[in-house]
Amino acid sequence: MKEIVIIGVGIHKFGRFGDKSYIEIGQEAARMALKDANMSWKDIQAAYLSAMYLPATSGTRILRPLGATGVPICDVEAACASGGVALRQAVLGLQSGAFDTSLVLGVEKMPRGFMEPSMIYDKWQIEMGMDTNPSYWAMRARRHMFEYGTTDMQIAKVAYKNHKNSVHNPYAMYQREFTIEEIIGSPLVCDPIHLYEICAPDEGAAAVVLCTKEKAHQYTNKPITIAACNHAIALYSADFRCPIDFTSATASNPGPTEVAAKKAYQEAGIGPEDINCFEVQDTDAFCEIEIYEHLGLCKPGEGGRLIDEGITEIGGKRPVNMSGGLICKGEPVGASHLGQIVEIVWQLRGEAGKRQVDNAETGLAHVLGAGGNCAVTILKN
Amino acid sequence: MADEKVAEKQPNMIPIKDGLFTMPLTSPEQVRLVGSRCRLCSEVSLGTCMACPNCVGEDMEIIPLDRRGKLWSYTVIRNRPPGDYKGPDPFIPFGLGLVELPEGIRVVAPIAGDVDELKVGMELELEVYNLYQNEEGSDVMAFRFNPV
Repeated sequence: MKEIVIIGVGIHKFGRFGDKSYIEIGQEAARMALKDANMSWKDIQAAYLSAMYLPATSGTRILRPLGATGVPICDVEAACASGGVALRQAVLGLQSGAFDTSLVLGVEKMPRGFMEPSMIYDKWQIEMGMDTNPSYWAMRARRHMFEYGTTDMQIAKVAYKNHKNSVHNPYAMYQREFTIEEIIGSPLVCDPIHLYEICAPDEGAAAVVLCTKEKAHQYTNKPITIAACNHAIALYSADFRCPIDFTSATASNPGPTEVAAKKAYQEAGIGPEDINCFEVQDTDAFCEIEIYEHLGLCKPGEGGRLIDEGITEIGGKRPVNMSGGLICKGEPVGASHLGQIVEIVWQLRGEAGKRQVDNAETGLAHVLGAGGNCAVTILKN
Repeated sequence: MADEKVAEKQPNMIPIKDGLFTMPLTSPEQVRLVGSRCRLCSEVSLGTCMACPNCVGEDMEIIPLDRRGKLWSYTVIRNRPPGDYKGPDPFIPFGLGLVELPEGIRVVAPIAGDVDELKVGMELELEVYNLYQNEEGSDVMAFRFNPV
């Protein structure tokens, strides 16, 4: 199979930008990635836009003003996993030989507050008040606490770590350190999850430029290899949030993160023990604890121990969410995975500044969202 | 004329979602949630479904689900849910839980009562009740669970 590499990355800060249009936000990230790749838009043979909240043909509306080159531009949507799914389409296209270069752009401009429920829930679920998105993670958290003894303090420590990391990330929405007391003292949103432990929908963009390995030398001497890029949807009874529509106690299947990660590890030929840094879907601080387990960083039920022992801090053995994660960056849904990829690429190039993980040679990015959509990408030098 | 009077006395009750409840709804204390059991693999799903989500079999048997269950996990909804929520205005925080029924299924449902008394494993019983009146004047019937 052809080796596919990342030769350029770009990002527009995640946050809230008033009247600035999604078109401008997206163009900034795309142009930054092209410049980073020493390319111009006319060098790109195919483009993908990942977005959930944008109108029809947004990819074309954002990118055609760079020049009406006529290249195919394809909009991709898979909720929180949109960026990973778009990246995978680009990788498959390059591997097939259909084209040699491509741009993957994630853009979002979302309103404040809880996500629009009609996109995810049926009318009757909305009328009965079962559509507060964090509630499903919160119920997983409560069950995890019941089964394994995970504590409020461990959940707060994940938020503490990510906020602390974010201070050094100029592209994060919040760049402020909070004390454990401030985190636990912030209002409960869905028990046991507090306001400072949860990510907010926001705005932003991120972009990556890809090409086949044999073409890379034309543009850069520091290509980053996509060792794996996988997409999975929850199997029966394994919806990551808890069963929203159906489930059964008699059938049990691995969750989408476990499935996508296993495939990605196989494809990359390395396991979690070989990976130097991680960016994962911390929709809330509890999620990150469970994702440690589902990515195989520890055994089921041991996620709380990892945070207690500092293993996932930047100076630890398995740093997670060096960027501050979604808790601090916010989650511009279509852009979030590509934002993770940008962070990992900077880490592997040694360009992550005060967030830099020593000797990072490999990294993993993970997103998980509605419909049980999960994407896992592994990068290596 | 006589028929109209009867209609006034007994407002039309409709389910919040078709296929979710046993019918009729006129005695709500006897109504049960409906499940679908696969005749091939025997998995149970909530409501009526066209195929078994577990084995993709299409031979589904409709069964009434037990009115009693146990709280498997829960949260408290602290802010008014987004969209067209039909609960009390002004908003009152409420429990939301996963209720495990004897058939093996876990159902997402509002949990009535004191949010500070919620506990994993607590015994619960189904309540079918009038959540709101729609524009045609029908009572829209929803469900929640109460501590036993």
